[in-house]
Amino acid sequence: MTAAGPGHRPGIGLPLRLAVAAVLASTALAGCGVSPRQSSPATGDPDRGAVLVTRHACGACHEIPGVEQGNGRVGPPLKGVASRSIIAGYLPNTPDNLARWVQSPQAIAPGNAMPNMGLSDRDARDIAAFLETLR
Amino acid sequence: MIKFHKWVPWIVAWGAGLATTGVIGLVIVFGGLFNATATTPHLPIVAWAAHTAFINSVKVRAGVVRPPAQFNRDQIAAGLADYDRSCTGCHGAPGVGRATFAAGMTPTPPFLLGASRQWTPAQLYWIVHEGVKMTGMPAWGESQSDDRVWNVVAFLEAMPQISPADYARLRQSAERPGAAAADVAAARAHLPAVLMLPNEGGRVPGAGVTQSRAAPTSASPGL
Repeated sequence: MTAAGPGHRPGIGLPLRLAVAAVLASTALAGCGVSPRQSSPATGDPDRGAVLVTRHACGACHEIPGVEQGNGRVGPPLKGVASRSIIAGYLPNTPDNLARWVQSPQAIAPGNAMPNMGLSDRDARDIAAFLETLR
Repeated sequence: MIKFHKWVPWIVAWGAGLATTGVIGLVIVFGGLFNATATTPHLPIVAWAAHTAFINSVKVRAGVVRPPAQFNRDQIAAGLADYDRSCTGCHGAPGVGRATFAAGMTPTPPFLLGASRQWTPAQLYWIVHEGVKMTGMPAWGESQSDDRVWNVVAFLEAMPQISPADYARLRQSAERPGAAAADVAAARAHLPAVLMLPNEGGRVPGAGVTQSRAAPTSASPGL
């Protein structure tokens, strides 16, 4: 073994260093595990919103950064939607309005192409929270 | 002289690689490592490979389909009725969301408002008629006549021109013949009387969208 060879200090040097490295690495990984997105019950969960956006096939009509099959061309692309001042043509872009819009587009703009998807209040809040990350 | 012995290590390494791949495959198949639940999304590379394979499979195989030059209003209306009965649950319709179960499907079925811009009529016919493996999309040609499949393609081509209000009136007539006859007649009059299809060999920009929704037009052969 190298640890026993000439010129090497015997004993615990390598294992100790490995252990320290492992502790440091796990600390760093734990840091990475914290979501960089803001999340609170009041504003919705953007990570759950991202899953819902895939599940409800939003990408069939909208181009959505980072979403699988998010390459639709029917409605407006959602890149930068959080930076827009107006949504749906006339609503001020607030998290509440965004949630209301994705939940009831036919009530807000009757006859537009976007269907009501049967989203719960929580679903709509979470999707809005995800859309708020698209700056 | 070719010195084969120089290649022996490479051949051994290649064989070992093949064997390793095979063992990994067997472990995945027999060890239950592939998560077959619909609650977990595909790995991005799996989703990409499956979706791209599907698109290319359709493009290569739909070449044998010879679509008609045009559809008429009766075909569009009949296709709307069939679509409303069999397709809206998974795919939605103008102003109509999917059934709630559709959000639990993996892959999740797409809304089809953009389908006529993404696919040719022949390709749409192929997808509806032949179905799509491992997606939940049935081969409708196994249970329905070719004419009815073409009717659904006619509706898919016309869908961008059908408003949610007209769709609602027309689906009502499909479910209850005779109901609100005047409304239905008005909505039906909004359907394109004649829908010219693009020539073989790819989409023509604007096809199926440029015509007036109220009156029949003599669309040029170029469309």
